[in-house]
Amino acid sequence: MLENRMKRPLSQVTKIVFVILALSAFGLLRAPWEDTIRDDLVENHLLLPPPAESAIEQMSQSALMGTLGGLRTLVSTFLVLEGFDHFSLKDWEELRNTYQIVTSLEPRDENHWRDIVWHLGINATANMELDKSLPEFERKRRFQQYALEAIDFAERGIQQVPESAIIRQQLAEVYREKLKDNCKTAEVYGDLIGLPGAPEYVRRFHGYFLARCPGKEQEAYDYLMALFREGPSQHLPTLIKEIQKLEELLEIPSPERIRAVRRQTPAQRRASKNSLPGGIVIP
Amino acid sequence: MNESASPLQSPARRVAAFSLSRISTIAMSTVTQLVRMKTFYFLLAFALLLFAVGNFNFASSPAQALSTLKKVSFGAMDLFAWLFAIVATALLIPRDIEDRTLYTILSKPVRRIEYLLGKLGGVLIVIAISLAVMFVICSFMIIWQQLGYIAAEYDTRDIRTEQEILASVTLIENAGFRGELIYAAYASFLKAAVVASVTILLSTFASSSLFTIIISILVFLVGHAHTMATNFWLQETDNSLVVQMVLKVVKILIPNFQLFSFSEGIVQGASVASGVLLQMSGITAAYLFVFLLISLISFGDKEF
Repeated sequence: MLENRMKRPLSQVTKIVFVILALSAFGLLRAPWEDTIRDDLVENHLLLPPPAESAIEQMSQSALMGTLGGLRTLVSTFLVLEGFDHFSLKDWEELRNTYQIVTSLEPRDENHWRDIVWHLGINATANMELDKSLPEFERKRRFQQYALEAIDFAERGIQQVPESAIIRQQLAEVYREKLKDNCKTAEVYGDLIGLPGAPEYVRRFHGYFLARCPGKEQEAYDYLMALFREGPSQHLPTLIKEIQKLEELLEIPSPERIRAVRRQTPAQRRASKNSLPGGIVIP
Repeated sequence: MNESASPLQSPARRVAAFSLSRISTIAMSTVTQLVRMKTFYFLLAFALLLFAVGNFNFASSPAQALSTLKKVSFGAMDLFAWLFAIVATALLIPRDIEDRTLYTILSKPVRRIEYLLGKLGGVLIVIAISLAVMFVICSFMIIWQQLGYIAAEYDTRDIRTEQEILASVTLIENAGFRGELIYAAYASFLKAAVVASVTILLSTFASSSLFTIIISILVFLVGHAHTMATNFWLQETDNSLVVQMVLKVVKILIPNFQLFSFSEGIVQGASVASGVLLQMSGITAAYLFVFLLISLISFGDKEF
């Protein structure tokens, strides 16, 4: 009788209890291991941190489901498309809200930060300069608001991707073109020097804008002269012009002043390789 | 006189307790079964999707266009892998019962664990083939686009210096194809393997495929979201003890699928160490082993 009882299949309830016990035992064993792996993955930027609470609250139901379901990159790509739509319609508030979510979903993607700084700092501000449907004071207020929001986005982006050159380039453009803040522009170009992917011109631009920053003329002169002394590759017309302006301003004695150097443009250099005087080109 | 006994009288041959060849036979028949379900037609849709995304003209720079292409490709690969793992695994056992193939198989000297392993193996082979083909398609698209963008940069030689062009090309190359992207596809495969093992466990209990699919998707969503939602819920409820306990129970019972989303980081340019891959492979193997063993609790003595 006992043998028969032993052979009898387990009831469904008993099986479920066994399964839950087995899963719990496995769960207790794996949880610390998974926590360690998770920390490693987050530290190595392989796993994205959870989106900010504010971003979760702003997400639509479908975007939230997608994000929770592991479709984070697809959701953010879809939102970038949506952002492009807002840009086309010049709906800057919605664009900003969309990018709040996008940057929260993918904080390590520098393109998103760069794009929102460009949209708000360049496009939205330009729109405020041109949009005659708004009263003057409102246009000015919004111009400032968008520019400052762009700077805020850029700063948050730099915090997330400290090595990013493209976010700083875009930030420098906002300071340079829209806020006309030469000191800040010089500072941002200065931060760009030496970063991976930073263009060569940022070294010169740092000097040019430092020269326009009140009180920094001597520093700018020393810096630009150091660049000039690097050799003919730095003897560019703008650099020479800036040094000459500073020489006048700082009343540098004549013997210490630089002589004007004529420098060819890349197109002229290429043309000169195969050309004779009079512009006759040797094939 | 020939003393050899007739086949009817011969003693029963000893059957190996565990046979890889039996598992591979079941796995290959599962692959055939899935291929006949026109599974690979998805690849055509995938190629069309990539072609469409590759020709979208909304990106502000070539680097962003390449980044978008990569994200959509690998996002679609990941989605396909886990969704296919759930649906295919949930359909297979009920289909075998419906077709009465299961009775034929289990009437042979085939252990039930071998049957489950074979079914899981078949699903994983199809997922691996699909991911490999998708990886080749998306690599081709990325490299093609990348070369086009680089050529366009060099076409601007007349108006830009060589240094500026090189800086742009470096940006494009950084956002373009990298050999490490293959690990992103591997991450999707590992995730799909764990999802399939969970589904196989559920399908041994469930009475219908629909139930298995729904519950598996629910388990996947909870397993993916609970790490993400933990802080949010705790903040919302002021660290309520009840919520803490619920979250602990969820963490213990449900696999942490978010761990397997490390493909997102690889796609965005992060480097992956071999140690990470080994650890993730190890934890996947542990999931497969334990979930298959637990599946036997129900499937081992199930009567059909």
